[in-house]
Amino acid sequence: MALTRIELAKYPFVVDAAEEVKREDLDITNLENPSLKAIVDRAQNRIDEALRYSPPTVSYVPREEDVEIPSFPVAIILAAASNSDYIKRRYALAEARRAYELLREEDKEKILEVAKVFNWKIRTPTTSAGRRRFDFALFFVDYLRNAEVFHEDEWKLVNRTLASGEVYLNRREAARLLQEEIRKRIEKRLSANVRSMLPEAILQRVDGLSQKYASRIEKARLSMFPREVVNEAFPPCIRLFYGSAKTGTHISHLGRFTLTSFLINVNMKPEEIVNLFRASADFNERMTRYQVEHIAGDRGSRTKYRSPTCDTLKTHALCPGPDELCKTIRSPLRYYSQKTRTLKK
Amino acid sequence: MDSQAFIHQKFAEFYEENASRIEAPPSIRQREFGFMVFQENIMVRHKSFKDAEALRTYMKEAAPAHAYHSTAYYELPEERMENKGWLGADLYFDIDADHIATKCKETHDQWTCKDCGFGGKGQPDVCPACGSRRFDQRIWPCDECLGAAKRETIKLVEMLTAEFGFTDDEVEVSFSGHRGYHVHVAAETARDMDAGARKELVDYITGTGLNTALFSPEAAPPASQTAGWQSRIANGAYEFLRTATAKDLESLGMKEKRADSLLSNRQLVLKIWEKSGPWRPVTGIGKEELKLFVNRAVENTSSKIDTMVTTDIHRLIRLLNSLHGKTGWLKVAFPTSTIDAFDPLKGAVAFKRGEVKLYVEKTHRFRIGDEWYGGYENQRVELPTAAAVFLLCKDAAKLVD
Repeated sequence: MALTRIELAKYPFVVDAAEEVKREDLDITNLENPSLKAIVDRAQNRIDEALRYSPPTVSYVPREEDVEIPSFPVAIILAAASNSDYIKRRYALAEARRAYELLREEDKEKILEVAKVFNWKIRTPTTSAGRRRFDFALFFVDYLRNAEVFHEDEWKLVNRTLASGEVYLNRREAARLLQEEIRKRIEKRLSANVRSMLPEAILQRVDGLSQKYASRIEKARLSMFPREVVNEAFPPCIRLFYGSAKTGTHISHLGRFTLTSFLINVNMKPEEIVNLFRASADFNERMTRYQVEHIAGDRGSRTKYRSPTCDTLKTHALCPGPDELCKTIRSPLRYYSQKTRTLKK
Repeated sequence: MDSQAFIHQKFAEFYEENASRIEAPPSIRQREFGFMVFQENIMVRHKSFKDAEALRTYMKEAAPAHAYHSTAYYELPEERMENKGWLGADLYFDIDADHIATKCKETHDQWTCKDCGFGGKGQPDVCPACGSRRFDQRIWPCDECLGAAKRETIKLVEMLTAEFGFTDDEVEVSFSGHRGYHVHVAAETARDMDAGARKELVDYITGTGLNTALFSPEAAPPASQTAGWQSRIANGAYEFLRTATAKDLESLGMKEKRADSLLSNRQLVLKIWEKSGPWRPVTGIGKEELKLFVNRAVENTSSKIDTMVTTDIHRLIRLLNSLHGKTGWLKVAFPTSTIDAFDPLKGAVAFKRGEVKLYVEKTHRFRIGDEWYGGYENQRVELPTAAAVFLLCKDAAKLVD
């Protein structure tokens, strides 16, 4: 892709990581070299901005391409070296948000160029779909890969204009979807293990950032749920499944999974969960224990499962209908965390 | 000989002769296979085959009651679930009469409560006698149920081609061998979709999560073009009103008087809807009544797919041209363009020779090919093999030596 240096400074993530370092003549084991100080300073500053501001963002500094362009890959290395999921997530989001703000001011051609970097099947439609004019038509798989995490009704595929496999978008929406794609690409690059390659002076800078924002990092890490299970804070769906389990009434497979993963996440002991299913007529202790432990991440793939979201329960017709609090949240676990907080007061 | 052994023998004979008809799914080496075997009544999973020939040999030797393969592609299909290495999955849809309310079920589906023994007809949610939800069910495929499933399938295929842009070649429709249809999309472009993306696709097909407040009159599409739910609802409501009788309107929940006055105003309302869609109240249709029209349009134009099948990216689905152990019928594919004329009770018949003597306790009338059979009650009959195997699979008859 033919991007000017000005554009590279705006959208540094479009360059392949290895190529980038070569091109800017960067040797990561030599980052403490005084001639690179301005670049490393700016790299550190990029992460600092991401952690300082809410919502996180990174500033755009025009006319400083010589520092701006190489500071991005260096910042990636610094953030990766922090080994903190919070810092990595924050930083990826900040860079992606910065790109969105810049992209939405660009003309259609520039947006197309950036989209092509991610292999999107996208075009500018010449005819209108329906009676409205749209800026872009995007292959629905590319659309869903990025839009599925958005929860507003207007992003749901069912509410979109969709024809011949393409979702119709305006410029702002295309930029917003790109933000998501960019965020994921940066997060992926941040998973590299680079700490051992970095000189001591650079590590000190990284650890300095971690210390400066230590209280925030700690707060994000702490579980949002109380130690003891608070049954009164269960949302309507969980109350229903829980009641059914206790009385041995049939619950669908997804219903069982929802209940079990919910209870594990709110810190109920696996033993208690197994006991809960005892009333069921086809109860099999060994099987139930295996399933509960599997969902808890004590077995098999060792991932602890999150409980399904409201949206998923609605898709499978398992949402018994929302109460007032339900309307403000997106998952049974969120409901619980909100409710336990208000119950405490 | 007991029924199970007899069915197994018939299945074995069939596969001995017809194993060559079994088609391997694309990239067979990357698929997991699963089989329900006779007698033991257990599911054998995590199997894989290097090519179609190996699969056919297995089918001949084992003659399973049910044969399945994964919609997913795996690096190591024989490994445990967490070590398989998921590489992608075909898009798969299942439409089963079980999920569609048909009136005929009241006459041909039977249930017995596992807890209290009470029983009856239809498909209850809970046992009216004891409140239990555990039933033994004897479900019966019939023309009406299969017709209802077919109508849902046609709507689904239309959505997949018009809105999702898949070509006719990419969409394979098949009869499941029991009470429904399968739609298989093997397009490479859709393989990577994760469960979340597939969920969004399912919501689109079932019309779940619609917010019609987002649909505006300026965006009302011309009737000729389907460009999303906005046009589905606009066209669906328009069609419904255009042909509605007073009774149809009352079935929506409209009051008799309101329905009559709307019918006398019909042409005017249709004109307004042509211009700006059914999004705002007009003379004769208030805000609440408008919702009734919108809901009916959604009901009529959505497709009642099984939501779990499509969102499950590790699903096992029935192997094409294999026998269904609950009917002795085949799962068969047919060209999408022939779906209207396709008759599952002809196209899926596997056993074409011989006759079998049975004692039948009680059955409904049923059809296989052009022939109608029954209903029978406590009588000895001699039936063509296809009809006999069907009754034995349904546990509705016993062999007579």
